[in-house]
Amino acid sequence: MTSATLTYRHIASRTAVAILGGYAFTWGIIALGIALMYSAGMAFHDAEHLSYIIGLLVFLVAFLVAFAAQGLGRVALVLVGGGAAMTAAAWWVQSLIIGAGA
Amino acid sequence: MFANFRHSMAWLHTWCGLALGFVLMVVFFFGSLSVFDREIDRWAIPDTRFEPQPMPSFDKMLRPVFETMQPDAAARAATAPLVDGPLPERFDTPRSWGAYTTHRDPVLLLFAGYEVPGAKDHETAIYANRTVDPRTGEALPTDRLKLGSEFFYPLHYSLSLDWKNVGYWIVGFSALMMLMALVTGVIMHRKIFRELFTFRPKKTTQRSMLDMHNLTGVVALPFHFFFAFTGLVIFAYIYFPVTHTQLAPLHDRHEQIEAKETGLPHDRAGVAAPMASVDAMVAEAQRRWAAKGMGGAVGYLNVQHVGDANGYVSVYRAGTDRVQLTGEGIHFKLSTGELLREDPPPTLVARINEFLTGLHLQHFKHWLLRWLYVLGGLSGCACIATGLFFFVEKRKRHHAKHGVSGARVVDALAVTVVTGMLVATLSLLIANRLLPDLMPAGWPLRGAMEKYCFWGAWVLAAVHGWWRTASVAEGRLAPAWREQCLAIAVLAVVAPVLNWITTGDHLLRTIGSGYWPVAGADLFMLASSALAFMAARKLQARAARPVTASNVKLEAKHA
Amino acid sequence: MLDAALLLGALLACVVGMGWFALSLDVHWAQVRGSAPQSPALVKALRLAGAAALMFSLVLCLTVDSPSIAVLVWLMAVAGATLAIAFTLTWRASMLQMLVFWTTSQGAR
Repeated sequence: MTSATLTYRHIASRTAVAILGGYAFTWGIIALGIALMYSAGMAFHDAEHLSYIIGLLVFLVAFLVAFAAQGLGRVALVLVGGGAAMTAAAWWVQSLIIGAGA
Repeated sequence: MFANFRHSMAWLHTWCGLALGFVLMVVFFFGSLSVFDREIDRWAIPDTRFEPQPMPSFDKMLRPVFETMQPDAAARAATAPLVDGPLPERFDTPRSWGAYTTHRDPVLLLFAGYEVPGAKDHETAIYANRTVDPRTGEALPTDRLKLGSEFFYPLHYSLSLDWKNVGYWIVGFSALMMLMALVTGVIMHRKIFRELFTFRPKKTTQRSMLDMHNLTGVVALPFHFFFAFTGLVIFAYIYFPVTHTQLAPLHDRHEQIEAKETGLPHDRAGVAAPMASVDAMVAEAQRRWAAKGMGGAVGYLNVQHVGDANGYVSVYRAGTDRVQLTGEGIHFKLSTGELLREDPPPTLVARINEFLTGLHLQHFKHWLLRWLYVLGGLSGCACIATGLFFFVEKRKRHHAKHGVSGARVVDALAVTVVTGMLVATLSLLIANRLLPDLMPAGWPLRGAMEKYCFWGAWVLAAVHGWWRTASVAEGRLAPAWREQCLAIAVLAVVAPVLNWITTGDHLLRTIGSGYWPVAGADLFMLASSALAFMAARKLQARAARPVTASNVKLEAKHA
Repeated sequence: MLDAALLLGALLACVVGMGWFALSLDVHWAQVRGSAPQSPALVKALRLAGAAALMFSLVLCLTVDSPSIAVLVWLMAVAGATLAIAFTLTWRASMLQMLVFWTTSQGAR
């Protein structure tokens, strides 16, 4: 490990992407997971629990990737952008379900 | 940023482990104690040292108690800001009454939730609880802190930091870091099968610490992984409150549909109605379970919308014979006793979720598995502690040469969370035996005093630890370790002796009568004392050894 | 009482099984049997025997408890057994000679 390349800025940026990007991505997975599984007919709390289980494992992987990957920018884009996209999609699916019949 | 993949994993392992290792020590240790939390409650509250009891008659014993229960001052203070105007003297509209018992508890917990008139959010409720002796219905004297279930257990999952759930978040983040440390540890550990049984205490401190770290980490790897993971699953609704924020509309829609489908009304009707015999409903529930071939005791009883025409009673089975928590709930109409619903068998996803949470929350009845869980938890503590020791050993000479104090700081923190934590725990048990039943006027209540003694002892241990690790800054072994091990050895004998003196329950009596909750606690403490004493002796011998230049080199690959 | 005996048997089977696994590794074989050579056939036999002992332990666990509990008991028993074997190898390696009593020793430590 060469301390020449390992500055505080590097560590801080990796950590921020891992934690914040990972959280955003996981939120998106959970939200979209619940919305899609519920719309497909799964019981609500089942959809919730299954999404939590999958989401937490995804968070773990995202965190590892944030540190292992070479290009941090790409990782950040995928995590934050993907998270936002999935969250938006979940919102849309919810509006369809609510709109279809209360 | 890193030379290669393995490199990045090694770096992550070191720094995740270091950053959150201190929190994880606390979580793992008090989690291990929490396996026997109710037994520790018995030790702490001698009035409750009798055998576990079945759920008593609701009609004859519990209903009169429920009717007299009211929220305490603390609950009122917490609810006052959520209300427009003053709180009423009495809360007369109970939303729910609940009674909960386990196969390990002699006492019964009663909960009541009340409507709050004038609340800003109409969902707001205020709660009361009481612990009673199921043989007589008499309440336990107030201000008897259940050291296990009301102190060690919350310390385990929230660090007792309730402000805005900060403690839950810290523990949750540590759990995620634990999973990180496990995965990166496996990636780093090249000879995982070859070195599975390797422990070489006679080699250098660094080598033997690393051996022990690898051994305790790998041997219980499924345990460590599953506990961190299932802990996160249990509190996922706190970390990702999706269904109460973004998807709240979906959640509310589901609740309405479910209320219609199950026939269990979501809200009160506003029409008063008498209560039929709940005992008869309980008997019917037990008859139905037996008919399905799964006889069992009642674990949880809930009366919803008390006194209302929409009221219903839910009877849940205590799931002691398997891991899943599911309770085979059966629901009856409160005013007539007619059967409303038998919960259907759980879906596959529900079974998976119940298995994962049940694995962590341990409602099962299996003493061997409980002790194996304690072994796993203490292995986790040993893994974290030896990781910290390895970190210090590897760097202290280098830091001493360059005038850096990193290793010393880590060692001081390590003393605080390893031996210091044990000193604090034992001091709490001693305070529990020494404090008077009723504190003098003007003093904090007994339960609060016990907590102050715990935290105070920990602070003292930390101060001692800081002072007596100064030698680490010069690359030498800190005397703090030996001194605190000796303190533990002494305290862990004093506590059982005080138990004997203040309650008369010495080991011959508790083992003789087979009262294992108390005997087990005393024996565990005495065994710990012996171990601490042996450790102090070994540390004394090590301190007497001269430091040679050769016991510094180790595998260069470790970060 | 029978349950306790079966669970004890399961624990012992785990210890024996992990002991056989350990002895299939040459570093631990050397601790117990000295410089006596270890044939590839013996290594394979020890690992098979170890696996069999662990399976037997799992079966015993399953006869006592429901499957969900039995699996947890077994996994934790394996962990405990591994620790026991590791510590035995560290401090009383010669005790494991009884697991390979049919082989000969050459200057074991």
